[in-house]
Amino acid sequence: MLTNFNFTGAAVALAMTAGAAAANPYEPYAGTTLVVNFPAHPHFDAVMEVLPQFTEETGIRVEVDQLQYLKMREKQTLELTKRKGDYDLIAYVVFSKADYVYADQLENLAKYFMNPALADPGYDAGDLIDGYVANIGVAGGDKGYLPGATGSLFGIPFGSETSILGYRQDIFDKHGLQVPTNYEELLDVACKIPELEPGMGGLASRAASGHHASHAFLLHLAPLGGRIFDDQWNPIVNNEAGVAAAEALKTIVDCGAEGAKTFGFAEAGASFLQGNSAMFLDSTVFAGQVNNPEKSKVVGKVAWAPHPMGVRRGSQTGGFGIGIPGNAQNKDAAFLLMQWLTSKEADKAIAIAGGNPSRFSTHSDPAVLEVQPHLEVFGKALAFADPDWRPIIPTWGKINADLGTTLSQVLTEDLDIQTALDGVAERARGIMEDAGYYTWQN
Amino acid sequence: MSAASRANRLTPYLFLAPAAVILAFALLYPIGYMVYASFLDWSPSQRIGEADFIGLRNYTNLLQDAAFGESFWVTIKFAAVVVTLEMIIGVGLALLLDRNIKGMSLLRTIFILPMMIAPIVVGLMWRYMYHPTVGIFNRTIKSLGFEEGIPWLSDSTWSFIAVVIADVWQWTPFIFILALAAMQSLPRSALEAADIDGATEWQKITLIKIPLMMPVLIVTLMLRLIDAFKVLEVIMVLTNGGPGLSTEIVALRIFRTAQEFQELGEAAAMSNILLMLLMALTIGMFFYSKLQEARAARMRAAAEQEEAH
Repeated sequence: MLTNFNFTGAAVALAMTAGAAAANPYEPYAGTTLVVNFPAHPHFDAVMEVLPQFTEETGIRVEVDQLQYLKMREKQTLELTKRKGDYDLIAYVVFSKADYVYADQLENLAKYFMNPALADPGYDAGDLIDGYVANIGVAGGDKGYLPGATGSLFGIPFGSETSILGYRQDIFDKHGLQVPTNYEELLDVACKIPELEPGMGGLASRAASGHHASHAFLLHLAPLGGRIFDDQWNPIVNNEAGVAAAEALKTIVDCGAEGAKTFGFAEAGASFLQGNSAMFLDSTVFAGQVNNPEKSKVVGKVAWAPHPMGVRRGSQTGGFGIGIPGNAQNKDAAFLLMQWLTSKEADKAIAIAGGNPSRFSTHSDPAVLEVQPHLEVFGKALAFADPDWRPIIPTWGKINADLGTTLSQVLTEDLDIQTALDGVAERARGIMEDAGYYTWQN
Repeated sequence: MSAASRANRLTPYLFLAPAAVILAFALLYPIGYMVYASFLDWSPSQRIGEADFIGLRNYTNLLQDAAFGESFWVTIKFAAVVVTLEMIIGVGLALLLDRNIKGMSLLRTIFILPMMIAPIVVGLMWRYMYHPTVGIFNRTIKSLGFEEGIPWLSDSTWSFIAVVIADVWQWTPFIFILALAAMQSLPRSALEAADIDGATEWQKITLIKIPLMMPVLIVTLMLRLIDAFKVLEVIMVLTNGGPGLSTEIVALRIFRTAQEFQELGEAAAMSNILLMLLMALTIGMFFYSKLQEARAARMRAAAEQEEAH
């Protein structure tokens, strides 16, 4: 893989120098040192391999402050409220988008894309995965957190993820099982597997109280046609689709491996990697570990398929984006770095090094697919990435926690699903009321 | 009054001043900050000056919040159960081991090992021991011929028991070591006198050792109680409050309110409620031990008077 990377690295260098031959747009910024804040995350580990290339081509130095991703929010909150910030570019999780944009702490990117000295006409923004852009980059449109007539761009997806179905090819072949394409088939196969392969669980899903249970539920809610709120912010999580999603989650957990009721993301992943579960439906970031013999006992046995369809297609969107803090000191150079990192060439190089690509074209690039063949299926799945599978509003943390603990009661204490979701909807209404979301009603 | 005598009278305050200043900055300022924050609607993206003042709304919200009520109840239940168990086992062990055994100092060191392990590690260790398939408990149960293991962390009753066991395992040694130290410093004369009077072992324990150790035991109890109300890491790693809210103690809820819900004001209000509860407990304990001391002093005085007659 290393030789491969070197080869592409060189290709990138060549391509970039060829483009820069006429006039070097980076020249005025050569010698600048940018300070960026990235999380410790497989995608950004891949970025670190490609980053030296940027300095070599542009003469702009980059100092990376890599933090554990849960620590990032705290540090950024401190940094962004300062008058003069230390960070020129930050990676942020989707939820921070709502807070940062609302607090006016992220630069609106329009003025950079309008600047002919900065914006590369060959950037091809249309090639960026639109579900990711809508989810992570844009704010101010529909519902406030989505694109729309009034929306504008504050960040670019970088290290984003969607949900994908991983399954054990060997087990499916052995029993002549069909790869599920819809929810009926998914639930059916999930519960058949423990019967066919005693001791093996069907689908490894998160279920632990709190964020994990809620995340697993939301994965099913969007494809099954549900939403947390309607367009007037009325909670509708307790409608038919919501109940169906909770029932799906309960079926999956009941037909899961032993101990499935307390799985978090790590445990669910481990169960699949240890060969104790036949399927895995969660973030694409997981894919990198499957063929790593140090972590996985199922090397070479896993195949991928798009997130099964319910009444519609809708896979999750999440992960990270990059944006320029309002108090950054080298904004123009930061934009150049941002544009370079998400350019076609760099996106490919990062994908080859093991990162999550942000562009459709990368998912069908022969050089990339040779090293990361699973990206082909991912690319198809990404056409259906749903930017609105969960609300990105400041009150969501609280509603999410309540949803997660209530679902945990459904899974472990057999709380009635309709009663449980009615409770969530009622409490969500209270939280939204306090936050002023019903100011314009009645 | 002459200047000299006034200066003389002010001298003690002068010497006290540095301590008072440090106290004000290091202790009262942070607490005051927290109390002030509890009246704000404050998100981490704002500086404290930008947050809206909302009076007592955080507190009224909390009183109506069923989830907080449940957390509060879980905390009280948890603290009561673990501290009772730890006191009984800790003092019991101390009574058993208060004798000259060979290698006692080594034994004592082994006994207090759990206390020295970082709580995060304790949580991880127990989480693997409670693991439904590869954990030592369920493997043992299954090797004994039982079909089903115990759902340690996936059932609300069992997970409460699981966190109680882990806490008792870690903190009983603390009580043991303090009780043992108290016991070994008891006046030997009282015990010798009891021997001469033909007291049984049980009588010695209930009538002499425990009453004489009481002041130390009360302080120990108080320290443990305060700690039990604030325990966070072990539970966070073991269950993260679940399933449902069955193990979500207030400290964990405060952490999540600040971290996940991004409501610093409400988190501060919760901390204040916890602080007030702990203050009430501490003051209660303080008065109780004062009362005990006064009673003991009265009895001593009465005894001395009798002797004098």
